Amino acid sequence: MVWLAVSMALYNCDHIASPMADDVPSPEQLREGLLRQRYFADDGIITAVYLALVLGRPLLVEGEPGVGKTELARSLAELLGRELVRLQCYEGLDAAQALYEWNYPRQLLSVRAGDQVGNLYADEFLLERPLLRAVRSGDRAVLLIDEVDRSDSEFEAFLLEFLDAFQITIPERGTVRADKPPLVIVTSNRTRELHDAFKRRCMYHWIPFPEPEREREIIRAHAPGVDEAAARALVEAVMAVRSLRLVKRPGTAETIDWARGVSALVQQGHAWPDALRRSLGLLLKEQDDVETAVAEIQVLRIAPGGRL
Amino acid sequence: MRTAARQVEHLAVEHLQGFVTALARAGVVPGVQKQVDFLRAVALLRPCSPSELYWAARVTLVRALEEVEAFDSVFAAWFGDGLVPLAPPVGRPAPRLTASRRGRVVASAEGDATGRRKDAGHEASVDEVRSSCAFPATSIARRRLLAEAEAALSEELPTERARRHRPARHGERLDLRRVLSAAGRSGGEVVRLQWRDRLLRPRRVLLLVDVSASLRQSSGDALRFAHALVRTVPRCEVYTFGTRLTRVTRQLAKRDVDAALDGLADVVLDVNGGTRIGRALEEFLADARHTAAARDALVLILSDGLERGDPGAMAAAVKRLARLSHRVVWWSPLACDVSYQPLTRGMAEVVGDLDDLVGVCDLASAVDAVRRLPAVEAGPRRSVPATRLTVDTK
Repeated sequence: MVWLAVSMALYNCDHIASPMADDVPSPEQLREGLLRQRYFADDGIITAVYLALVLGRPLLVEGEPGVGKTELARSLAELLGRELVRLQCYEGLDAAQALYEWNYPRQLLSVRAGDQVGNLYADEFLLERPLLRAVRSGDRAVLLIDEVDRSDSEFEAFLLEFLDAFQITIPERGTVRADKPPLVIVTSNRTRELHDAFKRRCMYHWIPFPEPEREREIIRAHAPGVDEAAARALVEAVMAVRSLRLVKRPGTAETIDWARGVSALVQQGHAWPDALRRSLGLLLKEQDDVETAVAEIQVLRIAPGGRL
Repeated sequence: MRTAARQVEHLAVEHLQGFVTALARAGVVPGVQKQVDFLRAVALLRPCSPSELYWAARVTLVRALEEVEAFDSVFAAWFGDGLVPLAPPVGRPAPRLTASRRGRVVASAEGDATGRRKDAGHEASVDEVRSSCAFPATSIARRRLLAEAEAALSEELPTERARRHRPARHGERLDLRRVLSAAGRSGGEVVRLQWRDRLLRPRRVLLLVDVSASLRQSSGDALRFAHALVRTVPRCEVYTFGTRLTRVTRQLAKRDVDAALDGLADVVLDVNGGTRIGRALEEFLADARHTAAARDALVLILSDGLERGDPGAMAAAVKRLARLSHRVVWWSPLACDVSYQPLTRGMAEVVGDLDDLVGVCDLASAVDAVRRLPAVEAGPRRSVPATRLTVDTK
């Protein structure tokens, strides 16, 4: 039935395109805009973001830590000229911290001053928390729900309801609804399996580690002191490190840190391989991993202090 | 002319529908909403290269990383010849050749990113003895011991403070909402303070049960104990390991112990096989979802520690487990013997990282071991050598 109904409209489809489609940038514009934000997105990210914007659905982004999930939301907010509203999830996060809270001390003062009870729930007593703020801003906001896998399943169920309708009911005030939904980016590090109902409501994208070529571009853009040859060598080393059995494989964020560290050391007069070895702590955050990498990878094996 | 165009459209829609049906057959079952999203995406993007169609389909239809592999193969089967059965709209440039190649490269790079974990379990199958588990019905005496174990678990398990604040008689935070509503009733006067506090709850428990041949005598009771654990502790995970690692929490969540053990037969295929503790633990630690179960948890390992593989791998894995968890306690059937010393190479390397090493060979000794947990909780970490030495000197 669904197929029949939609197929009727498939090619003469101007009317099924969402009403927002006019002011949504095209995929090409998105790609260029993100590049200007120094975010190097591949086809998958561009398609996912475009569809999330046009179809008005939340985008669930998963990937290893440090591949740029949070950065994506930040760059998008900048690019679209919208406010970034961030909700960092943690175990025990509850509705009061995510939605709204009343300013009780002020209410109490007001009661003692003899105000009418009805006035106690005026705007001046309402403290906005991220979700209410996002609903009120509507399509002027990018809502980033960060590391949703850290929250407990109670909160996830609550979020489900919120993402369905983009509305919040305040018993004393009535229902607040977003006319146009905000762009919602949900990130997860996969430490916990999310509920199926939650995943069903979201677009899904997995951000892999970038290809060598893209990672070189990223290094060049974020660590200005590094030239093409150095970036190539760094990326080769990082690829080799990622192929090892490690406790934590380094993401792009760590690669950038490492590139910056190496370039700072080189400017101080350290030899190249020595600088790589010395700043390895920026790439790998576990002593076991550092030992494994030094033992396995040729470039890193030169003893500290050694010079070419 | 018009009807011809209609026919082409109809064919295209049928092809897309066939694709989604094939996906469902391959285990990627998109709900109705996802299918609608997919069609709208196709209508909006009007993809004219396989790469564009690939991403439009993947973003809308796939729900998790695990589904990507199946999705890729179905997609390749339906659109792999590079022909997109959708006529490009007039005025669009012809598809770029590089686009499709780039799309595929991205897709295959992803396989590499996760490939390590996927193939980790398959290598073992060469000399793996597959046999399923069948345990005799639980006797009345054993059921009584299980009830005792459940009582002991609910009394003795370590607790932690929950993350959420709940209304309480005394607490660390004022419950302003309740204070205020009470004050509203008494004309703005605060008569009594109300509090919120973080209540105590049982700490997370992770139980790893060795089901290899050397433990044939005790693995039935071990799994019965695991059933009692799952029934008593709200946040716990149980895995079995021999030559492979299997999560059995869900199978154990049945009410009756024998029904739960019967359910295990379908999933635990390495009963009475060899032991590769190190490999199984490494597999456990390689997945962030598993390590989340160990973080800040009480980890119980039920095994004799007789490692057939590389003892170094086992030692490294236990070391990491000790860093992740709240306490690591090793329950070994061998340690029921008073003269037991952890002298095998594997155990000798591991013992320094453990918080306790106790002899557990049946349900009665398991109950005793549970009763010991508060002492382990109170003592310093990594204190096994000391306790073992005191046994020694007697």
